[in-house]
Amino acid sequence: MFGLFSKRQIEIKSPIKGKVIDLSQVPDEVFSSKMVGDGFAIDPKDNTIYSPVEGEIIQVFPTGHAIGIKTKEGLEILIHIGIDTVELKGKGFVTFVNEGDYVWIGDKLITFDLELIKNKAKSTIIPVLITNMEKVKEMNVNFIDAEEGDVIANVRLK
Amino acid sequence: MKEILVKINNPTGLHARPASILVKEAMKFKSNIYLIKNNKEYNAKSIMNVMAMGAAMGDEIRIKAEGEDEKEAINSLQKLLEDLKD
Repeated sequence: MFGLFSKRQIEIKSPIKGKVIDLSQVPDEVFSSKMVGDGFAIDPKDNTIYSPVEGEIIQVFPTGHAIGIKTKEGLEILIHIGIDTVELKGKGFVTFVNEGDYVWIGDKLITFDLELIKNKAKSTIIPVLITNMEKVKEMNVNFIDAEEGDVIANVRLK
Repeated sequence: MKEILVKINNPTGLHARPASILVKEAMKFKSNIYLIKNNKEYNAKSIMNVMAMGAAMGDEIRIKAEGEDEKEAINSLQKLLEDLKD
């Protein structure tokens, strides 16, 4: 019954304006080797993260530099702002949602101080990752200069 | 059910790299495994959960395992956490 009506395909929109790059180009082995998850990364040209999918906020990192969303199909998506930004200990990040909130595509999630990250962290690049790839059959990524809300990844579920 | 207290000793704490190593190890066991910090439970098999826990150097966390291989799971994760270097 559920199988008949559940969506087997999900679009992940761009959470921010910027250039979409391959994870292999992220200057941190944890992300480039896909240890944490698979997806894409964005070199941001703006300072606000909007929800790339519809779903529930399952993790708000206390330091504000990352957030996790679970879609109703069960896909878990992690947005990690910058590299080594955990060391900023929350400085420069403002979160607009709480764990348990239901968000729609385009809802404002986090704003960040792009200049501060440029100056203090290793990189401003934002990995956007599916952390439970076992649910995924196939994923196609559009490597474009994206506006916020553009379709970046088409994900087919198992 | 088995539970043990461990102290995080590596300088970067349980961030992306050590967190993903820990999750991979936890996945090898059938037991349900949780990490507990400040009375909040995190699923040790979820990278998102473990990273969000944000355990830093000096933090004390509890490992809790429940299942047929709980003893092995606890021993293995305790060793892994105590041996973390970076």
